[in-house]
Amino acid sequence: MQARYADGRAAVTHEATCAIGPDALTFEHAGVQHIWLYAALKRADDGNGAVTLKRQPDTGERVMLSEEAANALRLAAPALFTPQARGVERKRVVAGVAAGAYALAAAFLLGVPMAAGPIAGVMPEPWRARVSDIAWQQLEGLADYCDSSDEAARILNDAAHRMMNAANVPDRDSIWIIIVDARDFLGQPIPNAFALPDGSIIVTDGLIGLAEHPDEVIGVIAHEIAHIERDHVMKNVISRLGAGVFFDVVFGGSGIGQAIAVVSVGLAGLRYSRGYEAEADQRALDFLDAAGVDPGGLARMFDHLRAYERGGADAEADAESQADGRTRVPSLLSTHPDSAERAERARARAQPGLAPSLTAEQWGVVRRACAAAPPTPQASEIVEESGAVGED
Amino acid sequence: MTAEPAPAQSFAHRGRFFNVLGLAAKNAVLTLLTLTLYRFWARTSMRRRLWSRTWIMGDALEYTGTAWELFRGFLIALPTFFLPTIFIINIAPVALDPNLAGWLLIGFYILVVPLLAAARYLMRRYQLSRTRWRGIRLGLAGSALAFAFASWGWTILQLVSLGWYTPVSRMNRARYLWQNTRFGDQPFDVIKDGRSPQHGLWWPFALGWFGFIAATFTALIAMGIVVAMFGFSGGVDLGAGGEANETMIFAGVAAMLTGALVFLLTLAAFWTPYNAAAMNRIAALLELDGARFRLRVKTIPLFFITLAGWAITAFSLGLLAPFAGFLQVRYVMNRLEMIGQPRFAEIGQAIVPEQKSGEALGEAFDLDMGVGVI
Repeated sequence: MQARYADGRAAVTHEATCAIGPDALTFEHAGVQHIWLYAALKRADDGNGAVTLKRQPDTGERVMLSEEAANALRLAAPALFTPQARGVERKRVVAGVAAGAYALAAAFLLGVPMAAGPIAGVMPEPWRARVSDIAWQQLEGLADYCDSSDEAARILNDAAHRMMNAANVPDRDSIWIIIVDARDFLGQPIPNAFALPDGSIIVTDGLIGLAEHPDEVIGVIAHEIAHIERDHVMKNVISRLGAGVFFDVVFGGSGIGQAIAVVSVGLAGLRYSRGYEAEADQRALDFLDAAGVDPGGLARMFDHLRAYERGGADAEADAESQADGRTRVPSLLSTHPDSAERAERARARAQPGLAPSLTAEQWGVVRRACAAAPPTPQASEIVEESGAVGED
Repeated sequence: MTAEPAPAQSFAHRGRFFNVLGLAAKNAVLTLLTLTLYRFWARTSMRRRLWSRTWIMGDALEYTGTAWELFRGFLIALPTFFLPTIFIINIAPVALDPNLAGWLLIGFYILVVPLLAAARYLMRRYQLSRTRWRGIRLGLAGSALAFAFASWGWTILQLVSLGWYTPVSRMNRARYLWQNTRFGDQPFDVIKDGRSPQHGLWWPFALGWFGFIAATFTALIAMGIVVAMFGFSGGVDLGAGGEANETMIFAGVAAMLTGALVFLLTLAAFWTPYNAAAMNRIAALLELDGARFRLRVKTIPLFFITLAGWAITAFSLGLLAPFAGFLQVRYVMNRLEMIGQPRFAEIGQAIVPEQKSGEALGEAFDLDMGVGVI
């Protein structure tokens, strides 16, 4: 049977007559008989129609078989016609790669939050300060400091420090509240509050505008104090950075790899965030209890936020959106646990009848912090109360 | 048995549309299922497929690289490239003095230019060393570092000349790469044909250069038309409430997408003549042991192949990029001819040593989207 032989020493092929035996292919070239055992052969053609054989390990020699020889070889050595003979990996390799990928991802998803605490604990103060600086720079792009909010901020800080004194929060002197005007790209106020690594608590005028009672704002501040007390901010930064770097490097840096990395980091971030939020909720309720502030305020704020998430801050919109199941952020994808569940947990510890945490006058000042929200009807009810809880 | 008969012409690509698309789709699925870790195997199998369908004088090319080599390259890139990069981008801004961190970052971005060139060179070296024809290995001699720094200088000249040095730069790079390319022990040469290497490139380049400006204006006009259409339909009303705002956002997104699309289409239309001319010119200057080459790439087919490639790559999030590469490789190989013949009997086995692992940096920069840079 006809074949061509390339000896691996020059870029030419030589006509050869080959014999297809039960265990080996034999042919003669330049007076030398070559015996190629099937067990030591691989295909070099990737199924392009011209069967080409090479030896393992590769000597550079090639045998290109005629159609007749290839047909005979198929009967004698069917293993040379499997995908593996052409270099295609076995299924177990693919399974191993998949298992390795998921094991790596799982190890990192579990390992990152476990390591974040100890790392945050030993993070040098200058590093922490620089993280805060970066956070402040980013904040400046999103929100404006309210020039007229000094008095409102003083009132909230006084209330927060009364609460921290009562709950004996460590390092409370470094905690300070600032009110900002934050709006989305449509110019709508963003109701939010968050803590920075340097102990600053940022409260937006949108959040104050959403509140109908001072205890609702103080409840949120208690939650943010808990984040600072538990160093959640640094832990979150470390967790997200770690997950980001890991997924970006391991799963490729472009195209679908980038997409998978972004989604993975997002999901990992949600997981970490939700854990921290749940812990902060629990601690906030302890602080409110210690300070004699009704946790029902925090529950009502969660209700407002839920209404906001569902597409409208008023009860009508809430009812409408509840009816059609419409939400702005699906619970599964929210960085916070479900607002309804959080509200229920806070409501379970509500103590109706306690004095409000701010006087009506103070609440009025806070409401006008960025001149965004007028005093609410509830302010008049507060006047009738006996005074602010825990006020010295 | 001979399903894909060996063609008689000197160069031909006989990759079949659905055969390659099937492999690309299988690779895409497995890449997704393995959180992209399968990409080393995907890349290898696609190269094996594309190489093996490239016929030269009746014998097919062969790709002998393995996925494990690519994976090993990736593992090498982890401490040598990824860790320093992570430090400079993510850790240094927090751990170091902000000025020092800033300078480090600037230094990094400056170094990325030669690093990219080196990565491309090393990637080509690996791929050539894993390419055989009639059992004879190809190779790339020369220094990746020298190429990187020369390339850096050419890039700077491109910048200071507002792009007008680009044809010279392209031919310089091609000359360096091809003069160091070996088939077995035989080097390729880039000949002097009595004309400038950039001969025939200036007019197409000028068309592309001015086309960039034209593309920018065309895109802006298209965006304006989209916004105006929304305005005439009463959708955009700055004084109205939330629904109008949402319409405004929709109009903005539609305008941006239209602008990007028009820009890319116009840019491709103006740049393709230059790309076709440059490819043809480079091929015309190559020589292997007395044999010359001729490439007859035409503007209009190359334009549509380029557009098809972009569309396939964009809509598949890069997963089917190798298929886009296949379309281009097939077109080019089928229009390549050899004039004369090298003395094949005199060309011996390669003497340039093989690399042990492949494409560490190329993988880090994802330079070839799974096809090949040769």
